[in-house]
Amino acid sequence: MANPLAPAAGVDGARLRRLQLAGIASGFTAGAWLGAAEAPTKMVTLGLSPVVISLTMVLGVFLARWSLPALLRGTAAIGADVRQAPHLVVWAVLAGCLWAVANTLTIFAIRDIGLTIAFPLWNANSLLGILWGAVFFNELRGTGWPRRFAVLGGAVLMCAGGALLAVASSAGAPGGHGARGVVAALAAGALWGTMYIPYRKAYLTGMNPLAFVTFFTVGEVGMMTAVALVDRGGVAPLAAELAGARTVLFWLLLGGFVWVVGDLFQQYAAKYVGISRGIPLSNTNQLWGLAWGLLVFGELRGGSQATYAQVIGGSLLMALGAAAIALASATGAEHRRWQEAAAREAARYGIDPAYVHAALAGESASAPPRRRRWLDWMLVGGATAVFVGFGTIARVPDLALGWRWVVALAAAMLALLWSTGVRLWRTTRFN
Amino acid sequence: MTTRLAAMLRDAQFWVPVAVLIAGLVVLWRIR
Repeated sequence: MANPLAPAAGVDGARLRRLQLAGIASGFTAGAWLGAAEAPTKMVTLGLSPVVISLTMVLGVFLARWSLPALLRGTAAIGADVRQAPHLVVWAVLAGCLWAVANTLTIFAIRDIGLTIAFPLWNANSLLGILWGAVFFNELRGTGWPRRFAVLGGAVLMCAGGALLAVASSAGAPGGHGARGVVAALAAGALWGTMYIPYRKAYLTGMNPLAFVTFFTVGEVGMMTAVALVDRGGVAPLAAELAGARTVLFWLLLGGFVWVVGDLFQQYAAKYVGISRGIPLSNTNQLWGLAWGLLVFGELRGGSQATYAQVIGGSLLMALGAAAIALASATGAEHRRWQEAAAREAARYGIDPAYVHAALAGESASAPPRRRRWLDWMLVGGATAVFVGFGTIARVPDLALGWRWVVALAAAMLALLWSTGVRLWRTTRFN
Repeated sequence: MTTRLAAMLRDAQFWVPVAVLIAGLVVLWRIR
């Protein structure tokens, strides 16, 4: 009988542990940055339509998704990656479409039933992610029941903690169309949970996360633009609303940028610890969002004891759930089942097995990336110019902010960015 | 590429997200 703790074939035990640690650190860092993405959007106090807010954030996301990969890896390396498995471009665009529709549904869900009920409903996406991971990609197979229980139990604990936090952070749910809001929130969770099928597919096949996101965002922008055009009633009304809001667009673009940094780490988490563990770890974003709301924007000030008890209890439950998942990393036996799923993909799509195997081990089958080209610098320069341009006309709203907490939270995020970035670079060279 | 595209269209894993996306668009259309 095979020893379940033995290293996976071709990936030695020490290497597997380093990859798992890089993935877990990526999941926690993703949570910090995804949670902070809401902060810039709180600077927008104008009565913009939710769909326009979502579209502008997605435009910021688009700029960041093309410039950051160009800076970190270069378009030449991304092009080489795509040539190995061009069909994955379709999967990336599909994932982007799923994200855009889910994000829009959450806006409608919040409008109808409030964040209290909506957030835990769509946060159940982690349970769906566990299901898809086990059914399609051999995740949690070949491992013992204690680890399966830790992952599933941890996700359930995080959902319960998330529900408590949502109850505490809500400022009263709007009335109206309860059933419609519940359907919207559940649909958003289903879309977000299913969005991880293309993620995992791409990373098992060998695509680099930095290549995947550049095409993912094409789906995001395309779908979001279509939704916004239909919602606003055409190009002219949409353009007029955007022009009227030009002094606050910078904050929404910035929110999109911060979100992308978080999402990049989420992609690496999905790649190295799988979607069954990566999604719940990234869902710690709710804790960070709450920290920004409480400490920087002074939300819940003067709240009741019951509210603070919910915040503390919900945070503890989320932290416990995340810790349980982080400690239940994949064993060598489970990693061998991942390799079987990857080999199945290579055979189905006729991809070089060496390329697939190298990617699963966090390595590159080809030569190291070449030096950056003029196109890379143009993408980085263009995106920077757009941000600087909107930054110069941005209006700073008159809000009382806890600046010491801004510095402390930003420092914590940068520390996580630096330490996880260095760990990822040393372990995988961003492969 | 054509072979890979054909393989993708035969891949059950491809149709799950497609079906969920269509269902999501229908929900969005109905609630807006």
